[in-house]
Amino acid sequence: MSDPRDIVKHSGWIAADVPTEPVTLPAVLVEPPCGVKELMTENLVVNMGPQHPSTHGVLRLLLELDGEQIVRGEAVVGYLHRGIEKLAEHRRYNAVGTLMDRGDYVSGIMNELAFALAAEKVGEIEVPRRASWLRVMMSEINRLASHLVWYGTMGLDAGAMGQFLYAVRDRENLLDILEDVSGQRMMFNYVRPGGVVNDITTTAEAKLRTFLKTIDGYMEEHSALLGGNEIFQGRMRGVGIVTKEMAVAFGITGANLRASGLSFDVRRDRPYAAYDEMHFDIPVASEGDCYARYLVRMEEMRQSIRIIRQCLDGMPEGDHMGKIAKVFRPPAGEAYAAVESPRGELGVYLVSDGTDSPYRMRYRPPALYALQLGEAMLPGLLIADAVVSLGSLDFVLGEIDR
Amino acid sequence: MSIWGTGILKGLAISMRNMFRGPITVQYPRERVELPERARWAVEMKYDEEGNHKCTGCYACERACPDYIIKLDITTDEDKNKHIDAWNYEIGACMMCGLCVEACPFDAIRMGHDYELARYNPAELKIVLLEDTDVAKPKRKERPAAPQAAPESPATEQKEASDE
Amino acid sequence: MSPVLVAILRVLAAVGLMLMNGVVLIYMLRKVLGHLHVRLGPTELGPAGMFQTTADVLKLLTKEDILPTRVDKVLFFLAPGMVFVPSLMAYAAIPFSPTWIAANLNLGLLFTIGILSLVPLGIVAAGWSSHNKWSLLGGMRAVAQQITYEVPLLLAALPPVMLAGSLNLADIVRAQGTVWYWLPCFPAFLFFLVSGLIEANQTPFDMSEADSELVAGFATEYSSMKFGLLFLAEFSNTFLFASLMVTLFLGGWHLPFVPDSIVPAIGLPVIFMVKVYLVIFCLMWIRGTLPRVRIDQLLQLGWKILLPASLAWIMVTAAGVKLFPMIFGGVR
Repeated sequence: MSDPRDIVKHSGWIAADVPTEPVTLPAVLVEPPCGVKELMTENLVVNMGPQHPSTHGVLRLLLELDGEQIVRGEAVVGYLHRGIEKLAEHRRYNAVGTLMDRGDYVSGIMNELAFALAAEKVGEIEVPRRASWLRVMMSEINRLASHLVWYGTMGLDAGAMGQFLYAVRDRENLLDILEDVSGQRMMFNYVRPGGVVNDITTTAEAKLRTFLKTIDGYMEEHSALLGGNEIFQGRMRGVGIVTKEMAVAFGITGANLRASGLSFDVRRDRPYAAYDEMHFDIPVASEGDCYARYLVRMEEMRQSIRIIRQCLDGMPEGDHMGKIAKVFRPPAGEAYAAVESPRGELGVYLVSDGTDSPYRMRYRPPALYALQLGEAMLPGLLIADAVVSLGSLDFVLGEIDR
Repeated sequence: MSIWGTGILKGLAISMRNMFRGPITVQYPRERVELPERARWAVEMKYDEEGNHKCTGCYACERACPDYIIKLDITTDEDKNKHIDAWNYEIGACMMCGLCVEACPFDAIRMGHDYELARYNPAELKIVLLEDTDVAKPKRKERPAAPQAAPESPATEQKEASDE
Repeated sequence: MSPVLVAILRVLAAVGLMLMNGVVLIYMLRKVLGHLHVRLGPTELGPAGMFQTTADVLKLLTKEDILPTRVDKVLFFLAPGMVFVPSLMAYAAIPFSPTWIAANLNLGLLFTIGILSLVPLGIVAAGWSSHNKWSLLGGMRAVAQQITYEVPLLLAALPPVMLAGSLNLADIVRAQGTVWYWLPCFPAFLFFLVSGLIEANQTPFDMSEADSELVAGFATEYSSMKFGLLFLAEFSNTFLFASLMVTLFLGGWHLPFVPDSIVPAIGLPVIFMVKVYLVIFCLMWIRGTLPRVRIDQLLQLGWKILLPASLAWIMVTAAGVKLFPMIFGGVR
């Protein structure tokens, strides 16, 4: 990765920091067939620029290509930096949720939840049980919506257009439910320190029940359309392999880690917000290629549906907001809270100094480490493989750049 | 060939089935989706049956707004009567978070359902919701409970007590 | 009428057909893809959006023709022509009905496939002259895939020739009066389908313009009518491969179980066109559903699987034609 101080401007490449040891290419490219003189070839430096249909956000990839194969790749980020962590130092606690929504904009509830949990730890606020269950239900609805976006864009990266529209059709129902409960389809501002802002409405419950009747059939169709497709399997099997050691070394969490064989899920291992009362399974795969990540996420979608059903049927009575001051001034201290976002372990480290806005809020974006891993695994891949691998890592630039 | 190609054929059957399900398109602007009650769009002033506004000029919304979009111009006469010169609202910069509506103790504003806010002239993106009117008498009343909300909890009294 | 006038009229008819095809096919593609994807296609202009393509063509005609500074001017100017002209010439030997053929060549099949193999030359010229690395990649991929699949294409087209005993496309259709050739030559039908999809640059094999990787591939730097010509040539190629498939395997102008005599002479081209459009609908259905194959997998498929398989099927057909003349019908 480039020098983090250069987060906005890129200091130029093929310059002083070119590694001196030669890059080793796979043998198939190095040995020419017998009798043929070696051709003088030059590597092509291409820019998969910030505006590209396939990079999930404004990501710039500098690629050095030998024909179709990538020799070296570098990711340049910072095009979406808005200063969320700095702005949080000037907002009240109930307004920081509006900032956190805009980090990983595909799964806003979980961002707000991470911050709310950290603030509750610092301020020692008690959250009512119903609020915890509501948080879990909204988180799982949001996880399903986020994975549907991943599923659709995975199809688009591989070249198929239909899957995206079918995923969006299902996502529209979920966004309708979220709009009914919180007021907006994407920037929810729903989870606050202390609980949630509004209780669930009867119309939202009715919409959710209608949705749950048909989603199982649609999930079958989704998995048959993409995963069952032999062309897609040929693109994904054996591509972009991430070993367990690599994943742990890069700090990967979430579905990427579980697809490499390590079973770690924040919801089960460090439970928060009523997840200890839910029954769900954690899918794990061992190959670590793109197809394994695909299968893990499809299964996670089904488990999310299971959790949503449990939440709907077993929702306890109670308040939706705990006892918290209108202008929240927690005592001085620090706390770290993590949630399982669709991209991995999303953590918020909060330092409070007793005033009504945080002193420092650090947002640990799981997608940043996934992108680092993606960048490290680029050499040796073809361009088409690179597009598919980066898509299967499921990162969102809003989270990486903050 | 039959074993290798069945996934592809099944996929083709699924997309043909979706073709017969019909489009889900809502042809905007001829048809519009009905917004739920809680949908948060542009801030609107609430008026009671006689057509009076309820704003008392307490500045709670201005303090609550994270982006400093609301600006109240209020003059106070000698007999402590407040007069709203302008209730400025930069609708072009508003992110519709709803914190101002939550903060208002007198139920004077609400999040409206108007989302067609694009204008040709950028000057029209700064609007004035109230102009040159006296403040309303402060009838401190509870905000109406959200539909199907839990029963009133001691938390709300705590919120009132620790107000600034 | 003088033969020159007749020839000119035929050429004009082919040009007219090509343009009309382009307009209809683009509209059909957008509508079919739209409905496959649970949305509507164009709806605004005209009833059900029928005049959308006309509006698009007018828009392309009136756009500014941008010439980037460092392109190879001669090749950049000629490349759309090099793609468009062979595509237009290939209409010559397609038999729309026993009498409606622009040029009744005895080597019709060879001529058509030979002319269509000039299209990759134009594509690589477009990609190379654009002075854009992404276009270059697109052009290279196109050349690799289309040259690879020229041979399986012709080999897959040979079994119907063996059964009919002639390279004349009209004769091949006439020989399918009793049984259409897709049944006895089913593997050749599938190989031709795959090779045809590749030659026509359609998904799942449209790597040269993979829009999620290369933006628009070899046609990125083109604007206005040059882009229009490239675009039109792509749809024209699709029509040509569909009509070759109908001619060779699906019975040309014959109706399924009904003898030709009850159909008026004007109805035969209509039947042909309906069949071609049905085949194109199936191609669009495939396009809207399947993901893209990777370029090296495609080349492996071509050289290692399709080429030997089509050679093997030719040997089987040859043996069958000699041993079972009654089952395989045909002129021989």
